[in-house]
Amino acid sequence: MKHAVRQWFIRQATEYPKRTIIINILVTVLFAFGLPNLIIDDDFMKLLPPEMESRQTWDNIREEFGNTEIVYVALGKKGESIYNADLLRSSWDIAEALELDPNIDEVMSLSTMNRMDSDDGFMEVSDLQPARDLYPDELEEMKTYLDKNPDMKIRFISKNEDYINIIVRPVTDVPQDVVNKIIVKTVNENTNGFDVKFGGHAYITGTMPELIREDVMVLMRYGLVIMIIILLINLRSVPGVFMVLSVIFMSLVAMMGSLGWIYRFTGSDKFVFSVLNSSMPIILLTIANSDGVHFLTKFFKEMRKHKNAHDAVKKTMDSLFIPIFLTSITTVAAFMTLISAPIVQLTGYGISIGIGIAWAWFLSSSMLPAMVYLKKWNMESKAIAHMSIFEKFVDKFGFQVLRFPKRILALGLIIVAIGLYGMTLLKVDVNIASFFKPGTEIRDSFDFMDSEMAGTFDILARVEGDMKDPVLLNEMVNLQDYLEKVEYVTTSISIADVIKQMHRTVMDDDPLFETIPDSSGKVNNLFTLYSMSGDPDDFSSMVDYEYETGLITALMRNINASEIVVLVKDIGNYVEQNMRHADSITISGILVIFRDLIYAVIKSSAISIIVSIIIIALIVGSFFKSWKYGLLSVIPLTAAVILNFGFMGLFGVGLSHVTVLLSSIIIGVGVDFAVHYISQFRQIARNGTPSTELSHDVMEDVGYPIILDAASNMGFAALLFSLFLPIQYIGGLMVFAMVSTSVGTLTILAAALELAKNRILISNK
Amino acid sequence: MKKYVIPIFLIQYLFSQTGYDVATAIDSKAEPKDMKSDLTMVLTNSKGKTRSSTIRSITKDGGEKQIIWFLSPADDKGVAFLKIERDGKDDEMRLWLPAFKKVRRIKSSNKGDAFMGSDMSYEDMTNRNLDEFTYELAGKETINGKECHILISKPKPELRSTYSQHRTWVTIGDNIVLKEESYDRSGKLLKKKEIKSQKIKEYNTPVEIYVENVQKHHSTKLTFDGLELDTGVEDDLFQEKNLKRLPRK
Repeated sequence: MKHAVRQWFIRQATEYPKRTIIINILVTVLFAFGLPNLIIDDDFMKLLPPEMESRQTWDNIREEFGNTEIVYVALGKKGESIYNADLLRSSWDIAEALELDPNIDEVMSLSTMNRMDSDDGFMEVSDLQPARDLYPDELEEMKTYLDKNPDMKIRFISKNEDYINIIVRPVTDVPQDVVNKIIVKTVNENTNGFDVKFGGHAYITGTMPELIREDVMVLMRYGLVIMIIILLINLRSVPGVFMVLSVIFMSLVAMMGSLGWIYRFTGSDKFVFSVLNSSMPIILLTIANSDGVHFLTKFFKEMRKHKNAHDAVKKTMDSLFIPIFLTSITTVAAFMTLISAPIVQLTGYGISIGIGIAWAWFLSSSMLPAMVYLKKWNMESKAIAHMSIFEKFVDKFGFQVLRFPKRILALGLIIVAIGLYGMTLLKVDVNIASFFKPGTEIRDSFDFMDSEMAGTFDILARVEGDMKDPVLLNEMVNLQDYLEKVEYVTTSISIADVIKQMHRTVMDDDPLFETIPDSSGKVNNLFTLYSMSGDPDDFSSMVDYEYETGLITALMRNINASEIVVLVKDIGNYVEQNMRHADSITISGILVIFRDLIYAVIKSSAISIIVSIIIIALIVGSFFKSWKYGLLSVIPLTAAVILNFGFMGLFGVGLSHVTVLLSSIIIGVGVDFAVHYISQFRQIARNGTPSTELSHDVMEDVGYPIILDAASNMGFAALLFSLFLPIQYIGGLMVFAMVSTSVGTLTILAAALELAKNRILISNK
Repeated sequence: MKKYVIPIFLIQYLFSQTGYDVATAIDSKAEPKDMKSDLTMVLTNSKGKTRSSTIRSITKDGGEKQIIWFLSPADDKGVAFLKIERDGKDDEMRLWLPAFKKVRRIKSSNKGDAFMGSDMSYEDMTNRNLDEFTYELAGKETINGKECHILISKPKPELRSTYSQHRTWVTIGDNIVLKEESYDRSGKLLKKKEIKSQKIKEYNTPVEIYVENVQKHHSTKLTFDGLELDTGVEDDLFQEKNLKRLPRK
């Protein structure tokens, strides 16, 4: 059966080469028609499983209290007081222009806030900034009021009183990048020479994916150029390099096009192109490159022997058809495990990359041989007549490995043991600010918002219970006091604060009454009094319409994921011990969600890696009808995975959703190298080669393509020069994956097979 | 033929109503001297959630004097409000807070403020002075089988209204207001009102008012029950001391 399929492919390439090429191009064009359906969606929340508790709390909060994704705009001039009519006029204009936009739900700033005053026993609610243009006495009045209300002041004015904070709440369900563009445009039109800084998680998540994509596109171009140069130096054939690149390009089209087609037919969020999917092209590129490089190097080798394209293609196909198929099917299986991942978009990731890999295999087994067959090769060309630099290097390297297999294996095991130790030092670390290098505009704004303003992150406590019950309200006040003692928390706000202020105001502005009243009747009377001159919507971000659910918002500076874990745990303990009058309390906030997202990605990646390794072992074992081959095939990639995470632990690189996902490269490429090595080992052994020369022949056959494949992908080290740390990690990981998997295959696997060859060969007989 | 055309137009012109005529007709309609009723007020927010309360209201002189007591919900029971409009001066408004045992004065400086969390502002609740608006008619339309004038009323600048104009549907003949649209200062539709009236004694009296703030997607429905008209309410009812005592029906 295997033989018949292989013969069919060989016939297509050698008997109908043009037809084969045209059909492959046509099918790729069909895939390409799916590209316009591709939807880029950077909604961070869509990454999260709907059943995740913090996501559910978050959704409930959005439903009850409006959008919690806030954009912060700081406006001012360093060293100049904000009590300046020009600045307040600008902030008034910005707020007014933004409020007119249908995509903006609410703008909170000095020009939109209310003040509460006690006037002859009446609680008068009026505008904090009474007009666009202010007289000096009005500016003074504003200053006096804000000095009297530090909680309000900290939210809207910087520490040095030189910047105003404008807090923008977009309507829900509008893409954040759209909102960001509106805000930036509106603000820039009204700055009147004042400095502007943008911040907040919403701003970053709305801006970052596009910036990352642009950065990756530029650096990938460099990577591709380096890849082409390395391939050209080694293959020494422009048509040969073009053929490899055409396989890569067409499989990329198939992958992206299939994502578009599936989205068109399903309309599911699982098949949108999110920031997570940014790594897909790089992963497929390495795998498709591997298929092409293996085929072409083998072909040149066979041409050297047979001097005849037909025979060389046939021999190459005989030798590589099964391993390329096997590497593809195992990698597809590995990526398909992502379907069960809790992050919904990983389903689309797994399926579309699977389609891309499958198409790369088909192209490498049909179109590539057909192109190679059609080309009139010059037998005197360097590509065919002479060994390349890498070929010579691998020859010497392989000799050394096979000379001291025990030492090499022992050395490999020691390094893996170090890796295992390093794994124990691994830490989850997601500090969003550190995604950006210091000196970049976003990072500077971020640092400014953290050091000068009240911070742009929040912890949200959703409290269910009677929001007019003084006991519960006092418990909320105590929780806020507890939160405000936390180092990172700058301020907090809830309906309890408003009630305290109303109480003081109605009691003739006596500070002694800035407390929660002693009866629910009084609390209710305060709300009634407020409704006589204030807008009841003023409380909509703090309490629901029926006064059954309240929201405590604690503003905070950026902290990393491990610190947030401790903080949320502490808050949970406090709530359990001290808040007995609430029906329920749930903690959420962007950092809590981020923590949960990271854990979900790490969990799904860990499961995916383990399941992938098992599946690969089973597939290879059953294909080669030996569990030993199955086991051996996963040795290099298991070692590489251990080294990857181990070295991350040793060098203090934190586990994040980006770093953990890219270990898929190791699986994808690592299995390719191992399967090629084992397949060749098995084939050469079957041909009756003496066991003394067996490993050497295998090394000679597959060592070069493995090293060439790895080296050509090193071009993506260009990503190390990215402005974004996650992209730098991708670059670093690419280099690491290439080195660890290729060296792992040519050392640990080679040495293990060399040592175990007699037992394996006997058992196979 | 031509010689008949000019007199027909002249007759039409002389006998047709202007916007001001319609507004005057509404203003000069007979009104009860006083009115007692139990009101049910239902507020509905954009998410469909509702708050309901019942209020006992007594008004006199076309609403220039008003006293109301909250009967429910239990939390609001006993809260009372007194309003006396004064020509050329700020209205006098006071609120009784039973839990604090205090009467608090209310400032009416901002006419656009919502009254009691409803969609009606103080301006909506104040009688419109005929001369503070300009009027025009914008055609006719049939509402619920009744032909109506569409009356456009634009507040004069000195009124400092929170609205730019009102479009009111007034039945032709008996001058009953069926519905009204109010536009904010930027000319955007802000509120829609629908009024159901009933003839009690010789008066066309509103029995249900529905107001929707289309910008905030919030609505208020007021239903009048147990209406009693011209019962001889005394002026001295409208005093601060009466806020503290819930009257017997």
